[in-house]
Amino acid sequence: MWALVGTGLLNRDVISIKDFSREELKQVFSTAADVEKHPRSYRNLFTDKRVALLFLEPSTRTYGSFEASAVNLGCKILSNRSASLTSIAKGETLHDTIKMIEGYDTDCIIIRDKHMGAARFASEVAEIPVINAGSGSQEHPTQAMLDLYTILKKRGRIDDIKIGFIGDLRYGRTCPSLSYALAKYDDVEITFIAPPILQARREVEIYLQRNKVGYTKLADPREVIGQLDVLYVTRIQKERFPDPTEYERVKGSYIVNLDLLDLANEDLGVMHPLPRLGELPSEVDKTGHAWYFTQARNGIPIRAALLYLILGGDIGKHALG
Amino acid sequence: MESTLLVRKIDHGTVIDHIPAWHSELVLRLLDVDEIKTKPNVSLISLNNVPSRKYGRKDIIKLYRYHLSEEDANLVCLVFPTVTVNHIEDWKTNKYHPRIPESILGRIRCPEVSCITNLSREPITTRFSVLPEFKALQCKYCDSLLDFEKMPEYVKK
Repeated sequence: MWALVGTGLLNRDVISIKDFSREELKQVFSTAADVEKHPRSYRNLFTDKRVALLFLEPSTRTYGSFEASAVNLGCKILSNRSASLTSIAKGETLHDTIKMIEGYDTDCIIIRDKHMGAARFASEVAEIPVINAGSGSQEHPTQAMLDLYTILKKRGRIDDIKIGFIGDLRYGRTCPSLSYALAKYDDVEITFIAPPILQARREVEIYLQRNKVGYTKLADPREVIGQLDVLYVTRIQKERFPDPTEYERVKGSYIVNLDLLDLANEDLGVMHPLPRLGELPSEVDKTGHAWYFTQARNGIPIRAALLYLILGGDIGKHALG
Repeated sequence: MESTLLVRKIDHGTVIDHIPAWHSELVLRLLDVDEIKTKPNVSLISLNNVPSRKYGRKDIIKLYRYHLSEEDANLVCLVFPTVTVNHIEDWKTNKYHPRIPESILGRIRCPEVSCITNLSREPITTRFSVLPEFKALQCKYCDSLLDFEKMPEYVKK
């Protein structure tokens, strides 16, 4: 835990993965590894801290892992799990909601909101750290951290990776965040696999171009799967298609099943932020390709590490202990 | 019919010329009009759909006894690339050479409907980075892009 002394993450907002340096991500990963190795030494370190969970959109894994992480660290939880149960339903602004939560002597706000940019705005309103747990279809930075951590643990490195994103790349928030995150590493090649209507957003492409990351766009996964180290699958959503016949025509191309995986390298890792629908059938679960349950479990150490580093406080004392 | 016949030349102030026809209202929305209104001696003349040798028809705004700030001039020229801004002093015309701003605060709406800046009740000002190499603005809140050519559609009301 020596690395925690003097960390630049103390009281940091976590709004976009773009705001984090490779070195800072390394700190998060090494702390997460330590959390996994010595979970008991992280219990009840912050009994005087309060963490607010403001989830204005549905969530299972992100909410659960943040809550469990905060509880393990000894934090008290202030929870709001639905916009309909808050004064936002009465027309209160997000601005005022954040001010109120901050006024409850809170040390950190974790927010999920359907509006893009909501977390950035909340971080400007609040003087305490704000963590973005999903801002519409914009970003999900802590998911990107646990995705990178999963890749690191499984492959031993993040550099020198060929990764394919498949599914709904336009409206999903995990694909942009992980693409931005990968831009910090060396020799990254990204393939976006989707029909044109669900292809990666232009701002993602621009970020990659500005950071000199090689990427290509394809419609058929069979063209590239044999060259990939990781295939990142996201839910493809029928309702996004203006023409239902177009969906019927393409949906089969985006099912990552054993037939498709027959064309893959033996050590290809399949990732998925979950929940999944038909795009990733359970027949894949028992293969060596299935990284997604490990990936989901990594939410706990990553979010615990992040909270631990952000809440800091008497961290130096603990590190010396 | 020349526009000079409609309104006489001014000896001091700013002439915003070559505005696309019928767009002077949008240009005024881009300017810091509240600041202009604090000056009791300033007159504002807006001409619509006057003949132009270069563009066929155009709008012109004359700000008598008011010098447009660099920030406003740069913004107007970015949103309407045909526009020229001339500063007039003692009848002499100095053509302003606009620079592309690094960022734009307020004045423009975000094109993304689900951006937090489009919730009218939130006390929030739009902020955009300018990406000249991609001919687009990028919202600092939601990351969405707005192509330069679409900016006139998103001038704030």
